[in-house]
Amino acid sequence: MTTQNLQIPQDDLKKVEKRARGKRVTGKTLTYFSLSVWAVLVLFPFYWMLLTSIKSYSAYNAEYTPRFWTDAPTLANYQAAFTAVPLAKYFLNTLIFTVATTALMLVVVTLAAFAFSRLEFKGKNLVFTMFLALMMIPNELVIITNFVTITNWGMRNTFWGLILPSVTSIFYIYLLKENFESIPDELYKAAKVDGTSDFKYLTKVMIPISAPTLVTVVILKVIECWNSYVWPRLITDDANYYLVSNGIQEIREHGFGRQNIPAMMAAVVVISVPLIILFLIFHKKIMAGVSRGGTKG
Amino acid sequence: MKKLIYLFLALVLAAGMLAGCHGTLETTAAPTEAPATQEGGESAESGETKESQEIPDVNGFAIPDSFDTSRKIELVFWLKNDSNSAQVAIYEKAMADFSTLYPNVSFKVRKYTDYGEIYNDVITNIATNTTPNVCITYPDHIATYLTGTGTMVRLDELMADEKYGLGGSELRFDSPHAAEIVPQFLGEGVLQGHQYALPFMRSTEAAYINKTQVEALGYELPDVLTWDFIWEVSEAAMAKNADGTFKLNGQKVMIPFIYKSTDNMMIQMLKQLDAGYSTHDGKILLFNDTTASLLKEIAQHAMTRSFSTFKISSYPGNYLNAGQCVFAIDSTAGATWMGHDAHNQDIPKDQMVDFEIAVRPVPQFDPENPKMISQGPSVCIFNKSDPQEVLASWLFAQFLLTNDVQIAYSRTEGYVPVTLKAQNSAEYQEYLSRSGEDNDAYYSVKIDAAKLLLENVDDTFVTPVFNGSASLRNAAGTLVEQAVKNGYRKKDTDDAFITQLYSDTIALYHLDKSAVVDPDAQETQAPGSESRESAEPAQPGTESSQGKTSEPLPQTAKALLYCVAIAWVGIAVVWLVRKIKERR
Amino acid sequence: MNKNKAKGWLYLLPAIAFLGVFMVYPLIDVVVYAFEEGFNFASQTYKGVGWYNFSYVLHDPYFLQAVKNTFILVIITVPLSTGLALLISLGLNSIKPLKNLFQTVYFLPYVTNTLAVGLVFMILFKKTAYTDGLVNLIINWFGAESIDWIDGPYWAKMFVMCFYTIWVVMPFKILILTSALASVNQDYYKAAKIDGTSKSRIFFRITLPMISPMIFYLVITGFIGAFKAYSDEVAIFGTDLNVAGMNTIVGYVYDMLYGDSGGYPSYASAAALILFLIVLTITVINLMVSRKNVHY
Repeated sequence: MTTQNLQIPQDDLKKVEKRARGKRVTGKTLTYFSLSVWAVLVLFPFYWMLLTSIKSYSAYNAEYTPRFWTDAPTLANYQAAFTAVPLAKYFLNTLIFTVATTALMLVVVTLAAFAFSRLEFKGKNLVFTMFLALMMIPNELVIITNFVTITNWGMRNTFWGLILPSVTSIFYIYLLKENFESIPDELYKAAKVDGTSDFKYLTKVMIPISAPTLVTVVILKVIECWNSYVWPRLITDDANYYLVSNGIQEIREHGFGRQNIPAMMAAVVVISVPLIILFLIFHKKIMAGVSRGGTKG
Repeated sequence: MKKLIYLFLALVLAAGMLAGCHGTLETTAAPTEAPATQEGGESAESGETKESQEIPDVNGFAIPDSFDTSRKIELVFWLKNDSNSAQVAIYEKAMADFSTLYPNVSFKVRKYTDYGEIYNDVITNIATNTTPNVCITYPDHIATYLTGTGTMVRLDELMADEKYGLGGSELRFDSPHAAEIVPQFLGEGVLQGHQYALPFMRSTEAAYINKTQVEALGYELPDVLTWDFIWEVSEAAMAKNADGTFKLNGQKVMIPFIYKSTDNMMIQMLKQLDAGYSTHDGKILLFNDTTASLLKEIAQHAMTRSFSTFKISSYPGNYLNAGQCVFAIDSTAGATWMGHDAHNQDIPKDQMVDFEIAVRPVPQFDPENPKMISQGPSVCIFNKSDPQEVLASWLFAQFLLTNDVQIAYSRTEGYVPVTLKAQNSAEYQEYLSRSGEDNDAYYSVKIDAAKLLLENVDDTFVTPVFNGSASLRNAAGTLVEQAVKNGYRKKDTDDAFITQLYSDTIALYHLDKSAVVDPDAQETQAPGSESRESAEPAQPGTESSQGKTSEPLPQTAKALLYCVAIAWVGIAVVWLVRKIKERR
Repeated sequence: MNKNKAKGWLYLLPAIAFLGVFMVYPLIDVVVYAFEEGFNFASQTYKGVGWYNFSYVLHDPYFLQAVKNTFILVIITVPLSTGLALLISLGLNSIKPLKNLFQTVYFLPYVTNTLAVGLVFMILFKKTAYTDGLVNLIINWFGAESIDWIDGPYWAKMFVMCFYTIWVVMPFKILILTSALASVNQDYYKAAKIDGTSKSRIFFRITLPMISPMIFYLVITGFIGAFKAYSDEVAIFGTDLNVAGMNTIVGYVYDMLYGDSGGYPSYASAAALILFLIVLTITVINLMVSRKNVHY
């Protein structure tokens, strides 16, 4: 008797399972489809960039209807990117600039985020709101005054002149603060009970836990420095201090009566490669997210 | 908390005063109003009275007795090229040659391809006293640079100096004498009665014509085109076959008349009709009835699609070379793009059409008295505290006028050397004579275009240069563009449209700060507004059309302010409510 | 307590120092300029002190046009991009294979030089006499008529602008949201499954609150960033934005700084302060809303 009872529910069960699976499959297909659509939308302009970079200067200028393929791909543009303009030197400059700025930024931003999230002091909220307010100032405005400041300090055409104004970004302070705040209070209280100083807590506990976010911030800052254009252009007119973004513009203008877009695209591709590699390396770390499991066990 | 706020406010105040010092120290109090200047001031007199008020007499620069060749000097040179590496090479050779002659001089170069960028950078650097030494620029922009005290160096004395002036005795190179520079070209660099710039290269506008097509339509190409002729032929070219293709070229695309620089178009048309455009002291006469009637005519031809512009349809040369345009008007510098055999091409080979190309001056209203604009880069030098540096800058600027540089640069495109010395030199004459030998260095169209300017130097003119003339030029161009767009959209270009267009354009380029005069009305609107800040806001009470603060705020602005106010009221309320809830 | 107070400020000191010199000081400069009437950059002179600059700016039809454009841009792009990023992140979270591939692909726009990408977009959308541009080609395949995206009707230009802006901001948002989603403690999900809670309930009651801090971070910074839009516009429409009717407030500020007659930092500053006021208002509203809805 019991087996009979079990049989009927089993048929029903199978039907339910089948329906559920069907739902899951359609759900998954839909998900994959939508993700792919967006992926194509994202990839297409890059395909176009790559395509342009292997078209020759004359071929590119001669085609009035954009073509999806090229009959005579050439690497001449990549060659031009390095010979017409000292791109390798610009790479070095950009590397120095990026490393220094990112390192400084890390220190400044971590300390500030810690202060906002963990420490109690009078006027904290007010100061934070003011920081947020500063974030609302468009870059174009401060640039002229900073230009005057840096010139007055005699830092035109120096690395310090490039680095100092680019160090702080309230954007990242905010991000890190949010991240720090999500670390549970219990950890802090436990540390205090143990007698740890705030600074030790910061370095031994918070930073390791927030490693993914820190890595994210570092990578974002690196990308920002790598592509930085307006400020370096304003500050430097000595080719020894040009950055890669400046190099791209130079190549673009190195034409024969018109802009050299294929060479420019080649330079852009070359410049983006290190960043992509960087992203691929640290990808897992970034995606790990903040672990909330600090209090577990 | 209180202490904190006080401390904070104190800091802010201190910083404010520091920053305030920044702005205030450099200001000079607004000078008393200039006595009412007479209108239509093209007389040298008005220029003189203005000058004595505007620029302090002392230029701040005195020519040193001798050029100290033992001192190392680094000159900062900002050059402009047309995205053309050949031109950059010429500049670099010039610098190298100069450094060979004067080994104590070295260069720091910045390359530009856009005058606007040079302008932006110079303005930024004026504020910090880090201007370059020599730069290639437009006189329009120099007018703006001049508003700063002593930024630019007057060239009059330098040019006349025995030792280091034009053709001076101490020069190590063969520089032209003052008389050897084409006077019409030299004139453009005169601002407020003094020479501030030397011309570097000159060009004019020319019509590049598909002669084959003109004759196919049954017309004979005259030596000087008239506007009537060009409109008539353009309309005739619009005839279509039954299947929708054009009779003239059998293709689906045909825009018979394309003009590249619409600002020049309007300026030249007005000049040919002796109508008002602007005056030397900055009065704007552009927005008048002649302009209106010209715009209406242009719009009509736009409606039939027989006329278009570069901004709307892209480069005229492309259409010309594909047989889709009969009259392409561009600078003589653009000659290397025109024609079936042109070296620079933007269209694929299979689209190019073979035809006989002719070069003519721009269309005229009065073929007996042709008038065409001349334009091109000029070179200027900036004032520095070290007179030796300025002298070095001057020497280099002169060096750019030597035959080698002039001839080499002019050969890259359809430019013409600015010195008679170079023009009449054997080398240049030989270059001209070899027209047609190949399609590259001796491309016939390029040389024809250069010859056109050489033959018509006396018919060229330049527009008055003053602080704001660049905006005015852009405004002239915009008027034409908007009229054409209106015609394209098949809308009527009537008086109402013109009035609206005028006021929109004045607002767009902030021209309401200069007196806007209708040449039919006789009085100037704002006497004395041409004082030092010629671009200052007009005195309250002036009837300039747009943006006057005495008028009530426009709707959008009001809405914006109200929304913000309401938002803050809401915020305050919510904040209070929350505070009360917390207390409980 | 005193020790703590000082400590907090000590930690903040480096940030305050940098910000003070490179952000606060320029801001004060801006405020000073805004009240010095008609300050001309080339001649370094001004006419007086007062509210004239603000009045001038508010009367300027091009400023108001810029305000309108900016508002439309903000209202469309911020909710859309955040919502879309959320959807995509959820989608990414729910699949295992190819997840890394998709994530890397989605991040590409962030890595590349914006000037170059803008140029490519312009080429794709631009309609010339010879070709209608790639996008129009695709539209034609579907049987519709070509649209002049860059030079045509206002709605077309706005569409291109919004599309491009969303395209550009997505990588960062997707990154943040996937990271946030991944960090939600799986225990909550397991508990909910055992209880048999429906998917939508899980989403609204567990997922959303858990990632709410990040969502609000994105919303606030999204609004602020969208109000500052300018360089993207230039990349697609060129520098003559006023004539194209597509200027933004920051674009207006920039135009004023480098105007053809020597630049007017005073009008630029007045416009910038107005912008600042608008953004401040919206941010404060956002913050107040977030205080109620964000859970830690």
